[in-house]
Amino acid sequence: MAAFEPVLLRNRGVEGSTTLKVYESRGGYQAVRKALKQTPDEIVAEVKKANLRGRGGAGFPAGVKWGFLPKDRKKTLLCVNGDESEPPTFCNRVLMEHDPHQLIEGTIIAAYAVQAQTVYIYLRGEFHEQFHIVQKAVDQAYAAGYLGKKIFGSDFSIEMYLHRGAGAYVCGEETGLIESLEGKRGWPRIKPPFPAIEGAFRLPTVVNNVETLSCVPHIIERGADWFTGIGPAHSAGPKLFCISGPVKRPGCYEGAMDITVRELIEREDMGGGMIDGKHVKAVFPGGCSMGILSADELDMKLDFDDPRNFGLLGLGTAAAVVIPHDMDMRVVLRNMARFYGTESCGQCTQCREGTAWMHKIATRIAADAGRPEDLDVLLETARNMGMMPGLSICGLPDGATFPIETTVKKFRSELEEYILAQPKGRAEYLLRVLN
Amino acid sequence: MAKIIIDSQEIECRDGVTALQAAIEAGWDVPHYCYHPGLSVVASCRLCLMEMKMPHPQTKEMGWAPKLLPSCQTPAREGMEIRFNTEKVKKNQENCMEFFLLNHPLDCPVCDQAGECHLQDYSYKFGKAESRMVDQKLKNPKKDIGPRTLLYSDRCVMCTRCVRFTQEVSGTHELSIVNRGSRVEIDVFPGLPLDNPLQGNVVDICPVGCLLDKDFLFQRRVWELKRGESVCPGCARGCSISIDHVDEKVYRLKPRFNPKVNDWWMCDEGRFGYEYIHDKKRISSPLVRRGLEQTTPNWEDVPAVLRYRFEQFVKAQGGAKVVAVLSPFMANEEAWLLAKFIRDVAPEASLAIGPVPYEGDDQIFPAKASGDGIKFTILKEKAPNRKGIESLLESLGGSTLTCEQFVEKAGAGEFMAAWVVGGYPKPWVDKDTAKLAGKFDLLVAQDIFENEFTTKADIVLPACAWAEREGSFTNADGLSQPFHWAIVPPDGARRDGQYLFEIAGETGLFSAARVREMMAASVPNLSQVYESQRKPAHAH
Repeated sequence: MAAFEPVLLRNRGVEGSTTLKVYESRGGYQAVRKALKQTPDEIVAEVKKANLRGRGGAGFPAGVKWGFLPKDRKKTLLCVNGDESEPPTFCNRVLMEHDPHQLIEGTIIAAYAVQAQTVYIYLRGEFHEQFHIVQKAVDQAYAAGYLGKKIFGSDFSIEMYLHRGAGAYVCGEETGLIESLEGKRGWPRIKPPFPAIEGAFRLPTVVNNVETLSCVPHIIERGADWFTGIGPAHSAGPKLFCISGPVKRPGCYEGAMDITVRELIEREDMGGGMIDGKHVKAVFPGGCSMGILSADELDMKLDFDDPRNFGLLGLGTAAAVVIPHDMDMRVVLRNMARFYGTESCGQCTQCREGTAWMHKIATRIAADAGRPEDLDVLLETARNMGMMPGLSICGLPDGATFPIETTVKKFRSELEEYILAQPKGRAEYLLRVLN
Repeated sequence: MAKIIIDSQEIECRDGVTALQAAIEAGWDVPHYCYHPGLSVVASCRLCLMEMKMPHPQTKEMGWAPKLLPSCQTPAREGMEIRFNTEKVKKNQENCMEFFLLNHPLDCPVCDQAGECHLQDYSYKFGKAESRMVDQKLKNPKKDIGPRTLLYSDRCVMCTRCVRFTQEVSGTHELSIVNRGSRVEIDVFPGLPLDNPLQGNVVDICPVGCLLDKDFLFQRRVWELKRGESVCPGCARGCSISIDHVDEKVYRLKPRFNPKVNDWWMCDEGRFGYEYIHDKKRISSPLVRRGLEQTTPNWEDVPAVLRYRFEQFVKAQGGAKVVAVLSPFMANEEAWLLAKFIRDVAPEASLAIGPVPYEGDDQIFPAKASGDGIKFTILKEKAPNRKGIESLLESLGGSTLTCEQFVEKAGAGEFMAAWVVGGYPKPWVDKDTAKLAGKFDLLVAQDIFENEFTTKADIVLPACAWAEREGSFTNADGLSQPFHWAIVPPDGARRDGQYLFEIAGETGLFSAARVREMMAASVPNLSQVYESQRKPAHAH
């Protein structure tokens, strides 16, 4: 297989890659100059043609999203979603740490395409270092005249602000992000109206992921045809994959969306195989919310469509976490349930109560007090919370139920073995003690 | 009027309502917590989800959408087709009820809301009999959030109605949401208790027993209460209220929906302003003084005694020296009966309006709102019926006086016989007015509490509180609204309407509607009343 020539990560490892000078010396800020000579509609059309699907998790085409904006709008806002909080995911972080100017350039082009003169970059609260890196890059861009009034000598002006969240998973949901940006509690909004019609501060708003916007300069520079030439037609373009767990080379790698989970784990230029002779028991291939794969499903393609064939929610953030053979699945189950139990925002009934209940059951199973019927209760709770189509305002309960449901379904025999191996009467005893 | 189809039945609904409101008004019992017609829509309780026919994204063919949609958020559009009677919708309601009760303490036996709790009602109607949760329940704390309100957050269903109320109606923003997930709670900020003039409404709109009124806490089970429909006498606004009472005791006042006046709300001043009804110091029997001699006449003799005394006076000193002071706390019907009697015995007698109490300024909510943004108003005029009395005086004509004119003329000794009506819940006789009490040869004082007039009066008649009376008040906007008696007067007293009816020369039982018919000829504008209906049926 021919080595993939990195696009998004081409500046990673270059000394001083976060500075404007180094970025420009490697061909940076050429795309935006080219873009400003075109009309906004031409750029939207080009991005639509490239079929740039959102990298944030849902895979919604960015160009189509931009097309939803009302034609007669007066003011538009662009929000960059840097609230990367899906558990094993760190691709946005890598992009911001190593190449903030690529993000800024992509943001300027996107802002020009949707005619947004105000841009907010929303960073999760935990991104301290990344905040300073991006802020420095923004300051450099302002100093160079790439941001502010009449950028690059054109008539287009743009103001860019960084906003730091307070650390909530749900603020990665676009309307939760908008509420948080407005200074309110990060509770997702009811739709309609969609943000494109009425978003932050009641203005038409576009929310795009960091990685999505980082792709934009390359589409403009090299053309939509080059972009669609990478990977399969329905999942075009370069994509960042994260891998963590007991592999030899955990980290963030770039590739086309034609690789399988097995390749991501085994390839020498990616995961590099397992450490210490461990072998794979299960993988969460796309961030926890998408669900789990068992060891014999590793040939799943990491593109936007194939995960559905394996009972998963979707590609998600393409961040795989590998679970080795000696890991107790009850612990995995409890860990997943705990995350969503603490991160549910508390607005909708099903999600608020369901995630907490699943956490209680999973904790009890992990504490050797499981009952055989608990697994059925878990599955039914997951279904009652609403899974595609959901019953709640946002997609969090879908993401909360898929890992639980797939873990219970795919590893049911193992979980049942644990429960049956408990000393007789222990579950009942512990229930009494715990209550 | 839009036509929509619910469960295959075509119904007509008002324009601009949501599918949920349309369904409720047409008689469907759709469970809901977060939706309240007076507040913004958040669609977070997910109980009212429905199925809706939508065009297929590709084929554009109309079909039932696979996703359940919140009916509280979906506007009712012409020709739209929705349904609630399917397995999917019912299953969701059942599951939601199970989720709501997971961490609920199930302490109905000690909960004030039991009996009017929508968690009970919906569990019974839509829920499951058993919970499958065996783990320990999460127990959120009980909190004292203000001088009049408690918040038992373990019973909360997070409908956030109370939070939205403080944001959108009172505009005071005391309540907020803290924490995440199932530990989420309603709370106040440290040092900023829930203490605004409308705060009692949060207890009313709480669909469960989470927000509690300290005044009513552990006083009575709600199913023992009887409900009387009335109008609040607290200010000139005339909010529709219901009087919850039992054993001739008032336990609480609640607002009643009235789109022309108060919508769903009432203020705390009105809500808690009923205590004087049960004051032990109330005058409860009539009294006749002759020199130092005091007698308590039989009620049957009172009309004759009064008529005789006034006729004697008119014969001796002339009718122009007679005055009747009508209190702005009197109902239109009572005032008319009294005026009828006075003008009967002395056609040239004067009619005056009693003093109208004012306190501070009008308060609007949210503060600084204007036009349609105003959600509630508390008037500075603290009497329910100034407008009605003034209107009555104007219609009756003859010699009519303002309060100031009466004080001036009576001070100058122009009147020697007076009938002074009080009925104010607070002391109303000021220094200048008190001096008048000794200036009359014949003084009839009709009041609730003892004051300078009742101690010097030749005849004292006990007045009743509005909860014991019947009649109509005309509010500051000129709207006449009827109120009905809820409890009986204290032992020995009689309803003002009844004895005034007899004094005016009528026989039989007093009924406000009958008096209004009699009034129609002389006072046509007060004989029509507006009674707010519970229609269109509205959400709880």
